[in-house]
Amino acid sequence: MKQAKYGLILLLFLMVPPVIELSESIMSIHMHMQMPLLGIAGMLMVPYFKEKFPRFFEKWNANGIPGILLFMIIIIYWLFPRTMDEALTVPYVEVFKFISWPFLAGVPLRDSWGKLSERAKGIFLIVIGIIYTGMGFLYLFAEDQLCNNYLVIEQRALGWGFLFIALSILLYYAQDKLIDHSKYE
Amino acid sequence: MSNKKRTTISTVIVLVFGFILFYIGTDGFQAYTAETVRTNALIENSPKFPEVTLEDSKKRTYPFSEFEGKYVFITFIYTACSDVCPQLEVNVAEVYKNIPEKFIGEDIVFLSISFDPKRDTPEVLEKYRSYFNSDGETWRMARINDQEELDSLLNQFGVIVIPDEQGDFQHNSAFYLVNPEGYLTDVLDFTETDEAVEKVTEILEKEAGDTQ
Repeated sequence: MKQAKYGLILLLFLMVPPVIELSESIMSIHMHMQMPLLGIAGMLMVPYFKEKFPRFFEKWNANGIPGILLFMIIIIYWLFPRTMDEALTVPYVEVFKFISWPFLAGVPLRDSWGKLSERAKGIFLIVIGIIYTGMGFLYLFAEDQLCNNYLVIEQRALGWGFLFIALSILLYYAQDKLIDHSKYE
Repeated sequence: MSNKKRTTISTVIVLVFGFILFYIGTDGFQAYTAETVRTNALIENSPKFPEVTLEDSKKRTYPFSEFEGKYVFITFIYTACSDVCPQLEVNVAEVYKNIPEKFIGEDIVFLSISFDPKRDTPEVLEKYRSYFNSDGETWRMARINDQEELDSLLNQFGVIVIPDEQGDFQHNSAFYLVNPEGYLTDVLDFTETDEAVEKVTEILEKEAGDTQ
């Protein structure tokens, strides 16, 4: 339960107007810090939801697939350059960001991860790695400004961020595959 | 109902939700950037070019209505720009070169408008113009001295200009086509010069056909 409290505190903290302003002023912080932190806030709240609705997750997300798909849909939606701009200019898109990241991405990710088979986890990591690599190249090599509210230089920084995350994910996947876990248990 | 069945149902629900979310979020898989949304809205609303006073590289001042009766092919630039503007103007030159000569100056005029009137004096524009083989007549470069007029134009045409610390500007770029009545009729991708030439020529030929 302590976790859920921290999650709620984190979510509320991220909703404080000056914090919103700061976290959206720089493109990389907006995409690679604010959004994932919102997701983490949701993940921390999972024990609370599981206690409140113990059967719900068991019944509707038995193998973790619906949950992980929902997570993917939400993060892909937030990868569109348009949604980043609209989060700044259209109020209901901003509201959707604060709802979708914690509750439609963070919560299902944590609930699903433990339920997924090793194979499904591998596929998930590779797909995310590929998408992030693609986004990295897109933001690095786009000639024109993709988001009207951010500078091209920030766009490049964001591109590097994507590549770094993609590399980290793929390295994690590779070490997970290559290391003989039984040696360390 | 078994959990397996329920999970299948929730998978379907999630996928449908995702489809709807992406469909709404991209205007039916059309617009993935705010820039596309902006251009689509502009073309739909076709705003009138506001009455502004231009000062061109030949130090002539005239209102925009000088171009009444002709199409005007417009770009927004500033000469100190080192990244996108030179490319933008190179592409304008490309379009200028490829539109049938009989239309140039008669039915269509090219106009590059600077949004940095402080630095882009007629002398600077005169020099800049020569880099792109603009003749200063059928392809003019001009500044708008009145900040209020300039802001209203940028605002109506959705040109977003963000000044940065180094005295540069970040701005979105496109080809704007204003019709003989002074209304914006099209916003074209500045990287697709062939497409722009084709579209503009088609419009001009149609117009010529109508008046004959």
